[in-house]
Amino acid sequence: MITDFLRIAFLGGMLAVDRTAGWNLMLSQPLVAACLAGALVHPGAEWELWALRIPIAVGALLQLLLTNAALPAAQKSHDTATAGAVGSTVAVLGMGHLHAVMPASAGGLLWVLLGVLSGLVAAVLGGWVQGLNRAGAAADSRRAVALAAAGDAAGYERLYLGALVRIFTLGALWTWCGSLVLLAAALAILPHLAEFVTVRRIGFVFAVLLGAAVATAYETHVRGVKGGLRWTAAGAAATAALLLTLAAEGT
Amino acid sequence: MTDEAMPPRPLRARDLGAAGSRLLHLQALLTPDRMQGPGFAFSLVPVLRRLYPDHERFAEAMARHTSYVATHPVLAGYVLGAAARLEEKRAAGDPIDGDRIDALKRALASPLAAIGDPFFWVVLRPLSGLVGVLGIALFGAADPSMPDVRVLLCPLLLLLTYNAVALPTRWRGVGAGFAAAESPADLLRSLRFADWREVLERGGALMYGALLALLATGLHAATMSGGAGLGPAGAALLPLALGFIAARAFLRRRAASNVETTLIVILLAALVSLAL
Repeated sequence: MITDFLRIAFLGGMLAVDRTAGWNLMLSQPLVAACLAGALVHPGAEWELWALRIPIAVGALLQLLLTNAALPAAQKSHDTATAGAVGSTVAVLGMGHLHAVMPASAGGLLWVLLGVLSGLVAAVLGGWVQGLNRAGAAADSRRAVALAAAGDAAGYERLYLGALVRIFTLGALWTWCGSLVLLAAALAILPHLAEFVTVRRIGFVFAVLLGAAVATAYETHVRGVKGGLRWTAAGAAATAALLLTLAAEGT
Repeated sequence: MTDEAMPPRPLRARDLGAAGSRLLHLQALLTPDRMQGPGFAFSLVPVLRRLYPDHERFAEAMARHTSYVATHPVLAGYVLGAAARLEEKRAAGDPIDGDRIDALKRALASPLAAIGDPFFWVVLRPLSGLVGVLGIALFGAADPSMPDVRVLLCPLLLLLTYNAVALPTRWRGVGAGFAAAESPADLLRSLRFADWREVLERGGALMYGALLALLATGLHAATMSGGAGLGPAGAALLPLALGFIAARAFLRRRAASNVETTLIVILLAALVSLAL
């Protein structure tokens, strides 16, 4: 498990640089982060197939839930970059450790719920960790201005690259700590709730979560778009027609 | 020997290339008082080194470029290219003072932010995410005995959708800004992001409709097979509708609170589920 966490920490660092330093290649989107984390974590040979499917579901739900169409300045400082990686890691490793004491997992939905919940908590806590980077950037910015005025290009570049390293390190440390703490919390709490966790209840909570994800996606993609409902209806009708055609052809 | 005694050195493509590649780290020192200013100066170091061998003039230029700059990171190349062009002319002896360079940066940076933020952040990024999510249905469920390749294909689809637009824009930006430094208004007019924004917004709504249809189909299949604890179709739709209504009610009151809203909805759902 140590190597799993080292890989996840490295991934977390890269995601933080992508989101914070300006790469903006969208590696830090929850779907990408969750799937990459799922591909890096190995819960054991018998779980390898699940270890690939659960991150897709965790990532898709977090992608819908964490996408906010507001401008960055109008958003709360949630760390959506590492949320997918933390959520996926907790879900996959939690499944590997808890399957024996949690008899009902509703076809893996329990682990998806665990991953999404962990990802959401990680987004909030990660936002606080980002505050450390902002404080460091403010101090470095003042030093950078002094170095620029002195014409010390080498010192300026060293300082700037140091800021990049800080972003990477904070992202890596937070992903490592967040995954570890949330996994430990799941391992400590879930066995005590095992008698309350039934297939029916998992299905109910999952369906509610799906509804919340659809509502968040509605706010992002339809509300405020001119003729949005008409386009949505057209998309739904076209897809339904395509699916019916494929079903009739037996494809 | 000072700059005045040396022949002017024109910028080479590789100087602009080096500066453009540094723009990938534009926001590493983002602060509220200078925004991307320190990153902009960091990106310009290869250009300024080339133009100002004299330490004093180099320091003056560096100090100038650490001042406040706020633009969209994907479109920052346009500002950088234009600033590099004016610095080149200034180094060659043209009567261009620092204030004019600052004015050009301001004239480009703010409008580019106003163009880029709604296009890249509000429309293209969410749309790419939705395309990635739709990929789950597009590529279909894998053979249960085989590894699910969607774990790689769906993220790839998201990355390709976004970067098919963003990377070429970044690539072109420095050169286009350099060429259009004397006519920033023409440069801004040549960018068609506002037109494309409307198209992509409608595409997002269309794909959201596709997501709903695929979700309904998936739910129908799951409930018909009686799997995953969702129960009969009606029983699965009720909690889904409850989640939708509750989340929308919260989000209408506090628009930027996706995470808090979802956590509250999950907590309420868990409490209600105890009655089942």
